[in-house]
Amino acid sequence: MIWTIAKRELATRGRSKGFLAITGVMFLGVIAVAIVMSLISGDDEAREVTIGLDGAGADYATFLEIGDDDLAPTTIVTDDGVAALEDGDIDVLFSGTTLTWEGFPDNTLDGYIRNVAQQVEFNNRANALDITSEEIGGLFSEVEIEEVRLDGGDDEFIVRVAAAGVAGLATFVLLQTWGSFMMMGVIEEKSSKVVEILLSHVRPATLLSGKLVGLGLLALAQMLIFVLGMVVGLALVEDIDIPSGVWGTVPILLITFILGFGFYATAFAAVGSMVSRIEDAQSAQLPVMLPLLAGYFIGATSFSAPENPAVTIGSFIPFTSPVLLPYRMAMTDMPTWQVAVSLLILAVSIVGMVRLAGRIYRYSLLRSGTRVTWREAIRNRNLAEL
Amino acid sequence: MTARVIGAYGADMDGMQHDGAGLRITGLSKRYGDVQAVDDVSLDVPRGGLIGFLGPNGAGKTTTMRSIVGMVRPDAGTLSWDGATIDDSVRTRVGYMPQERGLYARMKVREQVVYFGRLAGMSKTAAGERADHWLEQVGLTDRAESLVQELSGGNQQRVQLAVSLVHDPDLLVLDEPFAGLDPVAAETMRAIIAERAANGASVLFSSHQLDLVEGLCEQVVIVAAGRRIASGNITDLRSASPTRRLRVRWNEPSSGWEPLEGIVRSSDDTSAVVELAATADVGANIAHALARGSVAEISVEPPGLDEVFVELVSAAGAPTEAEVTA
Repeated sequence: MIWTIAKRELATRGRSKGFLAITGVMFLGVIAVAIVMSLISGDDEAREVTIGLDGAGADYATFLEIGDDDLAPTTIVTDDGVAALEDGDIDVLFSGTTLTWEGFPDNTLDGYIRNVAQQVEFNNRANALDITSEEIGGLFSEVEIEEVRLDGGDDEFIVRVAAAGVAGLATFVLLQTWGSFMMMGVIEEKSSKVVEILLSHVRPATLLSGKLVGLGLLALAQMLIFVLGMVVGLALVEDIDIPSGVWGTVPILLITFILGFGFYATAFAAVGSMVSRIEDAQSAQLPVMLPLLAGYFIGATSFSAPENPAVTIGSFIPFTSPVLLPYRMAMTDMPTWQVAVSLLILAVSIVGMVRLAGRIYRYSLLRSGTRVTWREAIRNRNLAEL
Repeated sequence: MTARVIGAYGADMDGMQHDGAGLRITGLSKRYGDVQAVDDVSLDVPRGGLIGFLGPNGAGKTTTMRSIVGMVRPDAGTLSWDGATIDDSVRTRVGYMPQERGLYARMKVREQVVYFGRLAGMSKTAAGERADHWLEQVGLTDRAESLVQELSGGNQQRVQLAVSLVHDPDLLVLDEPFAGLDPVAAETMRAIIAERAANGASVLFSSHQLDLVEGLCEQVVIVAAGRRIASGNITDLRSASPTRRLRVRWNEPSSGWEPLEGIVRSSDDTSAVVELAATADVGANIAHALARGSVAEISVEPPGLDEVFVELVSAAGAPTEAEVTA
């Protein structure tokens, strides 16, 4: 029965243009980020270029074809270099003393050729002075200077900020979005009165569970896209050692999201059951929105000082821990036992929230007309009907 | 069928005797804060029974019906179906139409009917087959793939009926099934209700349209202020009324006629309706009417169900429908 209800939610929301569009945009965004990351990390293959040589330039052919990380040149000795350049057969024409371009010079290639020419000429001059290449090598051997940074390495910090930012933002946005969908769905059922027929067939707990499963799966699908982006992004980072805590954030992020969804979506459902009109939803949802927002803002303002007490405490409180636990894990080296304790608190709190919200939901669902107040909904446990 | 009357008429009454098959409600009570919504209500709807459930607004009809479908937890009383206490497994055999109709507006008609069949525990195939059957019965086969919100109000009511019937329930609980129906839809509804009862289902329906009730069923239960004030056969309830109606129409108009006794309920130049006590001397009253002039029609009858209803409800001290809605 729960699955029947969940399937309806999946079909209704999952088929909607809005969901497909947003999910599509998210997916493209993740791909774009991955592409940008791969460009920045620069592990792509050397670019193939063709260098046309005429006159004295031909003497450089062997050396020019050595190439480097960025370029994989081939050379062509040509009689009519200008024509070859205009035809696009070569990228540049080198005569030993001039570089001829079709248009704006390619900086990388320009620098490469000048460098090669410089070295060849340097060797020639050294030979003229009867100095061996070994002696030159000795002269120009690199002086080794070790780099020490008192801040422990800013690169690692950037990775932490990126991971924490993605984790915190994705959790916040998805909990808020899908919480609202949950609320709207409940209001729709209540205001259209269809809830009365639903309740003649199924218990309120079954109805609520079905909605949680259905919407939860859709929310999780979107979260997985974020996580995928995060994993791909982290995997593409080459030169920076990723702190193990950041990798650990990934599975924990999924767990906190599932638990956080259970916690918040139930609360949003209770809010939805209290109002009969969409217009009343804004104010009614405030008590649920505020703690969620608080968690987000604590995270957003703590990047420079992630060890502050607000983050630490917030990562244990169930209202803020869905956002702040993955955030804190990524930003700091959080002890494993603290992660476990935080998850435990969240899991236990869900039981409490489901009981409270379930009671409000049962009590308020068949109340039409005026908005049910929080006080009334929480206090009137004896009036809960179902 | 025997029928004695309780409450307003003082006598004890057990409206409908049967072998325990069907719906039996005993001593149902429910209080909301200071309001006793339902107060010790008992009623039976045997298999094949078709019972009109009457009462002014706020009498406890909806609360009683919600108790049957498990939406209200009674403070006291028992509800049984075929002798067994009504629980979730029994509820899958109940078809409920709430007073306030509700459907998913942005769901297709057939999809919606199938969905509610599935919620009532039917397999996908069975729900699809019965959805098609009932959509045909209510005349919506060609709208099966339309969104509910694209249908007219009357057609949405037909979908509502199909939703209530898709799982072929043995017990139909219909709260104001005729409210808002045009005459054609009302006739469809009437025919389907009668057919279900004829096929052995128990049907309990509430209505304010007492003329429809009189045409559809023989048995009624009347509640007011949460209490059952009368129940039984409509003819017997009418006969048991302490009043009679003297209706007279003269051939020649004139004015200023006064009845021998009783209360003039309505009158104009050529006719009058006079409420007489059941103990009044009918002959003397007729003679008095004949004395005015040539009479076209004259009758002395028990009051209609609508009048009996008002009498009973007033006698029970509850506000009548007219007072409530005024």
